[in-house]
Amino acid sequence: MSYAVELINISKSFGNVRAVRNVSLQIRKNEFFSLLGPSGCGKTTTLRIIAGLEEPDSGVVKLDGKDVTYVPTHKRNIGMVFQTLALFPHMDVYDNIAFGLRMRNYPESEIRKRVKEMLEIVRLSGLEHRRIHQLSGGQRQRVALARALIVQPAVLLLDEPLGALDLKIRQHMMVELKRVQREVGTTFIYVTHDQSEAMVMSDRIAIMKDGVIQQIGEPYEIYMKPRNKFVATFIGDAINMIEGDYLEPGIVATSLGQIKTIASDEYFGKRVIVAIRPEKVLIGSEVTGDVDNVFEGTVSMTIFRGAFIEYRVMLGHDIEFIVFKPHVGSSAPLLTPGSSVKIGWNRDSGIILVE
Amino acid sequence: MKLVDKLLKIYTFGILGLIYVPIVVLIVFSFNESKSKVVFTGFTLENYYRLVGNFRVWESFYNSIWIGVVVTVVSVLLAILMAYGITRYEFRGKTIIDSLVLVPIIIPEIVEALTLLVFLVILGIDLSPYTIIIGHVAFDVSFAYVVIKARMVGYDPQYEEAARTLGADELRAFTKVTLPILAPGIIAASLIAFLESYDDFIKTFFTRPAGFMTLPVYIWNMASRRGFPLDLNALATFVVALALIFAYIRNRVGKGVYL
Repeated sequence: MSYAVELINISKSFGNVRAVRNVSLQIRKNEFFSLLGPSGCGKTTTLRIIAGLEEPDSGVVKLDGKDVTYVPTHKRNIGMVFQTLALFPHMDVYDNIAFGLRMRNYPESEIRKRVKEMLEIVRLSGLEHRRIHQLSGGQRQRVALARALIVQPAVLLLDEPLGALDLKIRQHMMVELKRVQREVGTTFIYVTHDQSEAMVMSDRIAIMKDGVIQQIGEPYEIYMKPRNKFVATFIGDAINMIEGDYLEPGIVATSLGQIKTIASDEYFGKRVIVAIRPEKVLIGSEVTGDVDNVFEGTVSMTIFRGAFIEYRVMLGHDIEFIVFKPHVGSSAPLLTPGSSVKIGWNRDSGIILVE
Repeated sequence: MKLVDKLLKIYTFGILGLIYVPIVVLIVFSFNESKSKVVFTGFTLENYYRLVGNFRVWESFYNSIWIGVVVTVVSVLLAILMAYGITRYEFRGKTIIDSLVLVPIIIPEIVEALTLLVFLVILGIDLSPYTIIIGHVAFDVSFAYVVIKARMVGYDPQYEEAARTLGADELRAFTKVTLPILAPGIIAASLIAFLESYDDFIKTFFTRPAGFMTLPVYIWNMASRRGFPLDLNALATFVVALALIFAYIRNRVGKGVYL
C-alpha cells in the first residue's frame, strides 16, 4: 500500500534560515495528521512543499506513491485551506465552491449537483448566493473547506485555519472538521501551533522545532511518552522535571535524593531528566505507604482551575512541583499556602528524558 | 448659529462659488442671442448649431478621443505590469525604479514637453499623432501606476495560490482571480489616464504635427482668435457636460467595489 503523502529527506532554506531540515514523513490514507510546533518551526513550509507552492532544495515529495517533487501545484490533486482562507472576494459562496470544478471544465449541471452536496456536508445550504463579506467567521471557514474538498483531493492541507476564530467557535469547528473528515474520507494534514487542536483532532501528530521533526506519534503516545524535553514541555499544560544521574537500574540520584523510576539499561550512567505530569502527582492523604517516591514540601500557591485544583509545592528551596488534583466526591478543604504537605508518585509515572 | 459656523459656511460657499460661478456664467452665455458676454439679450441655440456644423470641432474631438483611448490602453497595461513586478518581486534597484516612475507627476509639464520635442528632433523623428501618444503615455503611466499599485499592495498573493491549489494554472489564476480583484483599481486608473490625455494641452501642443488638433488645442486656437466667439462657450459647455458624465461613471464604478 502506498502512502497518501510521503516526504523523503526534505530540506528547504530561505537565505540563511534553514526552515526545513531532512524531514521525512509517511502519512497514511484517510489519516488526520497534524504538524505541530511553535511559530517558525517549519511546519507551514513543509505544508507548502507538499502543495507545490514551495520547491524543496533537496528531497522527494510523493503523493499516492508518485513522485511529484517538480509537478506544479495545479496538477497535484490537493486541496488547501489557507490561514487567511483566501476566499475570492469578487465571487459569491456558490462561485467560490464551484471554482475548482470550473478549472477542471466540469459541465454546469454536474457542478450544480456537486456544490449542493458539498453545501450539505459543510451545513451551509441556502447561503449559495451570499457574498463572502456577509458571512460570519465560522461560515467562511466552512466555505473554504467546501471549496477545497469539492475537487475530491487526495489530500487536504490545512494551514492554521482556525487561528482567527474565537474559542467557542474554534472548539465547535474542531469537532466539525473531524466529522467532515470522516464523512468525506480524505487524508487531512493540519498545521497548527495549538496543541489542543492537534490533540483533539489528530490520528497522529508530528512535532517540529527549528525545522526538525522531534517526534511522530498518536496523541496519547506523545503525551505519555515524549521523546525529549522539548516535546515533554510543549505538549500538555505543564510538566515537572528533576535532573539527576541514572546510577543503577531504576534509581536516579537527584538533588532531592534518590528517585525510583522504571528500570532500563538504556539510560545507565547517563545524565537524565525525570519528568512527571502534574495529574500523576499524588498529594496529601493520597500519599499512602506504598507510593514509590514520597517528598515533604510546602504549598506555595493554590489555584482553583475549575475542573481541578492546581497546587504549587516547594520541595527543598529551589524545586517547585505543579500538582493537579481533581475534586472527586465530597469537596475536601483546599490546602492553604504555607501548609506543609506530602507529595509522591509511583515509579511508572516518571518519564525519563535524555538531553 | 455660532459665529464660527457662520463664517465656515460663508467660506465654503465662497470656494464653491469661485469654482462654479464662472462655469455657470459660461454655460448661460452660450445661449445668448447677441455676441455680448456681459448682457444677456435673449435665448438662442444659434451657437450650438454653428458648433455642430463645424467640421474642425468634430475632427479635433475625434482626435482627442482616439488618442485618449490608445494612451489609456498602453499606459494601463504598462502600469499593471510595472505594479505587478514592483509588488511581487524583489530585485536590485527596486526602490529607485519605484520613485523614478513617479517623477513625471512632479516635474513641470512644459519641461517634459520641451525635452521630449528636443529628443524627437535629435532622433530625427517626424511629429505625428504617434509622437503625441508617446508624450501622453510618458506621464499617464505614472498616474495609472500610482492607482494600480495602491490596489496591488493590498492584494494578498494567497488568492492566487488558492486558485492554483484548485487547479488553475498561472495564467488562469491571474485572469480569473487576480485581475477581477484588481479591476476597480484598473478601471479607476483607466479613467484617470484617459482624462489626463483628453485634457492635455501643453504636451500635445509641443508634439503635434502642423494642422493636427485635439479639442484643447482647437479651443486654444479659437480663444486666441480676436473676438472670442460665443461658439467657444457652447463648446466649453459641451466639454463640461462630458466631464460630468465621466464623474457619474466614476461614482457608479466606485459603488461596485467590494472588500
